[in-house]
Amino acid sequence: MTSSLQHAFRSHSSTAPAVVATQLIKHFGELEVLKGISLEVPEGTVTSIIGASGSGKSTLLRCMNLLERPDRGELAIADEAIRFDRNPQGDIIGLDRRQLQRLRAKVTMVFQQFNLWPHLTVLGNVIEAPMRVKKLSRKQATALGEHYLERVGMADRRDAYPAFLSGGQQQRVAIARALAMEPRLLLFDEPTSALDPERVNEVLGVIRGLADEGRTMLLVTHEMHFAREVSDQLVYLDQGHIACSGTPKDVFEDPRCRQFMAPAA
Amino acid sequence: MTSMTPEGLIDWAGPILNGALTTVQIAVLAYAIGLLLGLLGAGAKLSPWAPLRGLATVYSTLVRAVPELLLILLLYYAGAQALDALLGYLGMAGAVQITGFATAVGVLAFVQGAYMTEVFRGAIMAIPRGQLEAASAFGFSRWARFHRIVLPGMLPNALPGMSNLWLILIKDTALISVIGFNELFFTIQQAAASSRAYFLFYAAAGVIYLLMTLSSTALFTRLERYVRRGQPTEA
Repeated sequence: MTSSLQHAFRSHSSTAPAVVATQLIKHFGELEVLKGISLEVPEGTVTSIIGASGSGKSTLLRCMNLLERPDRGELAIADEAIRFDRNPQGDIIGLDRRQLQRLRAKVTMVFQQFNLWPHLTVLGNVIEAPMRVKKLSRKQATALGEHYLERVGMADRRDAYPAFLSGGQQQRVAIARALAMEPRLLLFDEPTSALDPERVNEVLGVIRGLADEGRTMLLVTHEMHFAREVSDQLVYLDQGHIACSGTPKDVFEDPRCRQFMAPAA
Repeated sequence: MTSMTPEGLIDWAGPILNGALTTVQIAVLAYAIGLLLGLLGAGAKLSPWAPLRGLATVYSTLVRAVPELLLILLLYYAGAQALDALLGYLGMAGAVQITGFATAVGVLAFVQGAYMTEVFRGAIMAIPRGQLEAASAFGFSRWARFHRIVLPGMLPNALPGMSNLWLILIKDTALISVIGFNELFFTIQQAAASSRAYFLFYAAAGVIYLLMTLSSTALFTRLERYVRRGQPTEA
């Protein structure tokens, strides 16, 4: 069934959504963090997940590259139905490691805390995954890396080590690192939450530029105004449920949604 | 003989240098194997698989809890007997010299590995989780993650402990003299006893050990500067 599904995806690759999540459920111990989330991210669009702390938005995002393994539900990402191992009750108990590595080369992530590798230079950080995971030569990877460092305005610091950069600069390098894999889908996990206020805009500017290029992105953010501006789709999460979703206009004009967002907005 | 031809350092220079060389060889080999055992031990201790964790815990706890001198004697006699039996069985008895060197290396490596296990375990746990998560999130294989991220990430934390263990190891090679193997300390004891110039030879031994440890400390300092290249020095 997976092969026919993959085939169906491939033959409609221009219209197939980058993500189709169906009824995702995730527990941490007794706590149910995601209570049946269904979500589609169309190719070439930006979706922002917003909501209060603890609403499950980071967990949902982390399910998209399987840093978190959902306990139940279906997931198709970048043309592939994820093959979960399930017990007879249908609970997810395992993953296909090969598929996982393939998936993660196509879905890359920008973290709240940047998570650059401190022993590698800026360029070293950006070319590491293309070399180790996509098996590009150093020359090919460096060309890619320089291109994307240029794109985020960090080309002049290519030989610096991350610890010598500001938070905003580190996050821009982290974005270049995610771009250098030329992914189908970019995930952003609160990319500006760890930044000094005066550094937020340089990072948001880069993300806005990527949205304008038509990249497929899924964003978790507290920056409501930014989310409203760049997103094609807003998803408001409340205690593990999707409380509201739609275009930013729909969500912000719907009185019921506004009520939800009142404390946050 | 007592007063007519006192034996001096010159007479013993050759054997002493040979002994020093043997000591260095034992130490380097034992250290290399100890590093490997330590990595395996730390890997096992951090493994999600309980039997493996248990095995590593027994190893590092037991070895670190028993005096090394005792371990050397125990492993020497048990190890030599086992090896003799094996060689006899294969009809190759008589490789005594090799057995002594191998035992010295084997025992010291076994002890080093136990201490190294704890040094590496702590150093790996001190790597910020996000750095490892980033490697996983980009689809690194386990091997790529280990040798490109975990290893260079833990070395700054591990090197001070590793350098400590190296110094201890050089000095522990002297314990090997109890099994009558011709390393530096054993040779010095022979020289001192035969010439009765105890102070002279033991002082010479002290100087040689000091030279070995000082030069290796300089090496470790450079190594540490290299693995910390990405870290700002304290202003």
